[in-house]
Amino acid sequence: MRRITEHPILEFPERKVITFYFEGKPLTAYEGDTVASALISNGIQAFRESIELHRPRGMFCAIGNCSSCLMVVNGVPNVRTCVTPVEEGMTVERQLNRGVMP
Amino acid sequence: MSYDIIIVGGGIQGVATAYELAKRKAGKILLLEKTFLSAGSTGSCAAGIRAQFGSEFNVSLMARSLQIFEHLAEELDVTNDFLELWQGGYLVLAYSQAEFDGLKERVKVQHRFGIATEVLSPEEVAYRFPRVNIEGIYGATYHKRDGHADPLHTTFAYGEAARRLGVEIRQWSPVTRILVEDDAIQGVELADGTKEYAPTVLLSAGAWSTALARTAGVDLPIWGEKHEILITEPWERVLDPMVISFSRGFYIQQRPHGSFIMGLPPVNPVKWYDPEEFDFGPNSDFLSRMSNEATHVLPFLAQVNVVRQWAGLYEMTPDHHHIIGPVDEVRGLWVAAGGSGHGFMFGPVMAEQLSKWMIGEPMDIDLTPLAFRRFKEGKLVVEPAVVG
Ligand SMILES: Cc1cc2nc3c(=O)[nH]c(=O)nc-3n(C[C@H](O)[C@H](O)[C@H](O)COP(=O)(O)OP(=O)(O)OC[C@H]3O[C@@H](n4cnc5c(N)ncnc54)[C@H](O)[C@@H]3O)c2cc1C
Repeated sequence: MRRITEHPILEFPERKVITFYFEGKPLTAYEGDTVASALISNGIQAFRESIELHRPRGMFCAIGNCSSCLMVVNGVPNVRTCVTPVEEGMTVERQLNRGVMP
Repeated sequence: MSYDIIIVGGGIQGVATAYELAKRKAGKILLLEKTFLSAGSTGSCAAGIRAQFGSEFNVSLMARSLQIFEHLAEELDVTNDFLELWQGGYLVLAYSQAEFDGLKERVKVQHRFGIATEVLSPEEVAYRFPRVNIEGIYGATYHKRDGHADPLHTTFAYGEAARRLGVEIRQWSPVTRILVEDDAIQGVELADGTKEYAPTVLLSAGAWSTALARTAGVDLPIWGEKHEILITEPWERVLDPMVISFSRGFYIQQRPHGSFIMGLPPVNPVKWYDPEEFDFGPNSDFLSRMSNEATHVLPFLAQVNVVRQWAGLYEMTPDHHHIIGPVDEVRGLWVAAGGSGHGFMFGPVMAEQLSKWMIGEPMDIDLTPLAFRRFKEGKLVVEPAVVG
């Protein structure tokens, strides 16, 4: 896992390990992670494709503003993964278009 | 410098008229825009185009305007993608029997002008447009050639085409005064003190026209009315038509880009005549009213995030029709303003007909009832189908 474990100011208490699914593949995360931080800690950077030129997009603003990290979460597109907590059993998919309304 | 015609204002009206005049070889034309093309109401508008009006006059004008939009890409040497032309129709919802009856009357007029509007029962609405919540609906009308065109790109395309025909377009060039001598137009004075001369000046400065006309001693009854509007994140196409209600005031459509654009009229409209008073600030009240209306009629919108809201001005007149044509009091002064919340969609046809009027060619659709003199003569023009 790609994670900072030691930090001069912050402490990282033990957290529960949970399982979620990225494109069908089980991955682990810590409870309290956002979907985006969970993906990045698993080495996944490309979250979606840009809507015009279909180039990879990933974490950018990290505050729910920029649309770069929108993904399909539990079947719902356009979810801001940088501000959405990951949950046990959650399914996460790359978003390849503007989002198809369920 | 001296010109044949000076146009003041670079919104859809001024820019399209510049193009139409140049196309008809009306002479040397200068267009002066305070900031940049489409910076006024045009750039803040909802991009809706429709022929579903109620008066013969407006239906005939919009029938022609739709035709122009349908061939505009070719005419201006751009693409429909650039113009963001989308004809997904307008679905006009009726929330009472009286309103439904009124819409049906208008459809008769529309049919006379070749506008093939359909009348739909609530069940037909539910079947054809399953995303629309039909609660409270008595019926609807639908015309499939209505829809969307991007106001900025349309204006830019007219502007480029006008330039190619030799029109001089000067942006960041505010006009401060219209120059009149012996009741005849001399030209205009700009903010930097320079003067430009022409025997004909066309005032197409939208809601700003009133203040400018005053510098020529003319009192135009055009005021600005603040209207708010918002846009969402884009989704794949889920809604084809513009969904509107005249009685509730809302209009909502999905743009070709995928975002949803929607608006509602103000609760207590204020009349602003002086640009000093114009206020474009956003209100949270609009955001909550709009969200309530939108998620009621199109429940799926509850899942869609708003990206931005803004305000623009409807340039209103007492009878909600343009003021177009010569101003009798000042020789050489022409006005084309006051689109009253639908000036974008009328822009192309008004420009086409006005240019003919200005060069003395016969018009195909007589615009003379819209001349400023109608207020003196007490001949107001009536239109039942306005939003807001
Ligand atoms: C929220 C909203 C939604 C709307 N929705 C629709 C719609 O769906 N469909 C539709 O058809 N219409 C719609 N409208 C109305 C439409 O936007 C206007 O009627 C139309 O754009 C008016 O165009 P115009 O060229 O007459 O004026 P404007 O676009 O206002 O152009 C006037 C220009 O004059 C310039 N100017 C001002 N003062 C000076 C000066 N002193 N010197 C030089 N230049 C000057 C301004 O900068 C501006 O660019 C909407 C309007 C608003 C506000």
